[in-house]
Amino acid sequence: MRSLTKLMAVTAVAALAVTGCGRADDTSTSGSGSSASGGSGSGGFAGDSLIGVSLPQKTSENWVLAEQLFKDDLGKAGFKADVQFANGGVGEQQNQIQSMVTKGAKVIVIGAIDGAQLGTQVKAAKDAGATVIAYDRLIKNTDAVDYYVAYDNFKVGVLQGNALLEGMAAKKPSGPYNIELFAGSPDDANAQVFFDGAMSVLKPKIDDGTLKVTSGQTAFNQAVTQGWKAENAQKRMDTLLSASYSSAALDGVLSPNDTLARAIITSVKAAGKPVPVVTGQDSEVESVKSIMAGEQYSTINKDTRNLVAETIKMVQALQKGEKPTVNDDKSYNNGVKVVPANLLVPVIVTKANAKEAYANDPTLSKLTQ
Amino acid sequence: MNKLKEIFGGDTRQFGMIFALVFLIVLFQVLTDGLTLDPGNVINIFQGNSYILVMAIGMVLVIIAGHIDLSVGSVAAFAGIVVAIAMRDWGIPWPVGILLGLAIGALVGAWQGFWVAVVGIPAFIVTLAGMLIFRGANQYVGKSNTVPVGEGFQTIGAGYLPEVGPNTGYNNLTVLIGILVCAAIIGGTLRNRRNQAKIGAELEDGMVMWIRLALISVAILAVAMLMASGRPGTSLPISALILGALVLLYGFISTRTIIGRHIYAVGGNRHAAELSGVRSKRVNFLVMMNMSILASLAGMMFVARSNASGPFDGVGWELDAIAAVFIGGAAVTGGVGTVVGAVIGGLVMAVLNNGLQLLGVGADMTQIIKGLVLLTAVAFDVYNKSQGRRSLTGLMMQNFGGRATKETAETVKQES
Repeated sequence: MRSLTKLMAVTAVAALAVTGCGRADDTSTSGSGSSASGGSGSGGFAGDSLIGVSLPQKTSENWVLAEQLFKDDLGKAGFKADVQFANGGVGEQQNQIQSMVTKGAKVIVIGAIDGAQLGTQVKAAKDAGATVIAYDRLIKNTDAVDYYVAYDNFKVGVLQGNALLEGMAAKKPSGPYNIELFAGSPDDANAQVFFDGAMSVLKPKIDDGTLKVTSGQTAFNQAVTQGWKAENAQKRMDTLLSASYSSAALDGVLSPNDTLARAIITSVKAAGKPVPVVTGQDSEVESVKSIMAGEQYSTINKDTRNLVAETIKMVQALQKGEKPTVNDDKSYNNGVKVVPANLLVPVIVTKANAKEAYANDPTLSKLTQ
Repeated sequence: MNKLKEIFGGDTRQFGMIFALVFLIVLFQVLTDGLTLDPGNVINIFQGNSYILVMAIGMVLVIIAGHIDLSVGSVAAFAGIVVAIAMRDWGIPWPVGILLGLAIGALVGAWQGFWVAVVGIPAFIVTLAGMLIFRGANQYVGKSNTVPVGEGFQTIGAGYLPEVGPNTGYNNLTVLIGILVCAAIIGGTLRNRRNQAKIGAELEDGMVMWIRLALISVAILAVAMLMASGRPGTSLPISALILGALVLLYGFISTRTIIGRHIYAVGGNRHAAELSGVRSKRVNFLVMMNMSILASLAGMMFVARSNASGPFDGVGWELDAIAAVFIGGAAVTGGVGTVVGAVIGGLVMAVLNNGLQLLGVGADMTQIIKGLVLLTAVAFDVYNKSQGRRSLTGLMMQNFGGRATKETAETVKQES
């Protein structure tokens, strides 16, 4: 019996200790969490609010540059910036986004490690009234992403397709041309878009016989390069060369990026064949050198400085309560909704225009002298 | 001071870790202007770390038995992708998917247990191989793609308790669970005490017991009320509920059952244990198998939280789980450690991580700080031991091997 009274006393003490922290008023969250498409463009927010920027692993120069630019330029614009890298992987990025929500960030810019694994976190952000901008990589399978800002990846593909045609025409005035197609990694949403863009140019030419894919491998899933890995592209090129080009000449190869382009060129050289017209993307230092040396034909310049500047412009518009610039509200379906996108135009770079294209880039401008 | 130690279970390490945890929470609460104990943040800490803590429970048993498991991240990823694909392509309902995942864990565990227990290859090697095998298997099965999972499945990683009953300003079920857990702990302690009185065992000071129960109850109720007072629609996360159930279950198994005591015996001194009639092969097999089952569960919880299974799930998780176990007071030599300690160790890491993120400390500094915390915690442990009877070198020479003296939680308790 004595223990029962003590039990009650203990429970009472415990209950006393924790009273006074009831649930936050419902009204505090309503009004800001509208999940209608187009996002919460209504009220705007204070000019010194916190802006969260969650970036993936610190693996390439582009991301390190983006970190610096976001920190400096968000600060200059009057915002408090919280820029974090998720070197520990998806789990760490999830926790970072949750922390930004807790801190009350008004806009969260996310460069996703894996765009399909952040649904829970962007929903939490949305419910807390933050606006979510997917940066460079689309966030998939959720209705809680408001905007997408990136270089126009379909356009990248179109430019690659055109460059391939122009490059081959310059070498050999009339067709038919023998070509091979390479695509990026199937787990990267962008890979399919690049390929579709390029095929929008190449497919009609394949159909009318101007272009001939000797191996017959024209579908995306036949052309993919697992993990964007150079070794995989090189192996596939080796196989294609020995199977289809023992006698035929190879005129051109569609490559989605520079790393793969160089792997393809390596493979062709190893087989003792003349280097065909090979496209690329990313303006990697080694590829710019290769272009200047006349091996790789083209690459794409997607200047991180412009992308960050455009993202900050969107944040500023949201702060004023305006609708940020969106120039495509049909193309980017993430599986649940069509995400309004602000697309920047990429620039194709060949030996002819490399000097102008990289004039503002301190590293690359030296290579093009 | 001795009274204080008794209140917290008499184990110096555990005592230290609880204070470290409280200290960290208070520190970050001040530094972040109260954001640390914001209901949403407390929910995040549990939701974002439950899967690591679930693995820490399995890992502490493995480490107590004197082994290590490096394959948990890969096993988690493998189970996750198979379940995700099975649900997407074969259309099996999600509860069956969870059972399938656990079955895969059991199979994988039986495979690793076979090599460790029957063939006698050190677990370090077997699981290093497992780390490669199952990472590869994950990428082979999933073709390195990210596979989304349906909403039902997402509850085990991202779900909350439903709102039931009258609108009290709290999530009623969360509060109810908090009260039930307190009642169970108090009831259990009292029954234990009655049993001890019946057999005439030496009883703990009544005052000490009541103060401890009061503190535990306050802590549990405070956490429950905090989580119950978050944004409407949120509550005690389902993942934390799973974690809580596992802590109770494995806490019971490790301290109150024959197999549980055998794990300590085998880890403390395998030969002595065998001579006393413990079937050490069986213990080793079960411990390794159990680890893989829990790793699969953790993998599924992560997939549920992420809404999809990806090719890089689980990378580095083994290190998080092992760190939690050692911070929580387990000894590298085996035979020492507790389930609750491992979970507290994991929570120390989780709170540290979360606090540093709230402060906006970069990923680089966070890693440095976490590394130092791990080193300090284990150094403290080693120092304690060397004060007793063992030199530092002696300890290091015996890493991952058998120990000369059996040292269980009880002997530590008696010393202090």
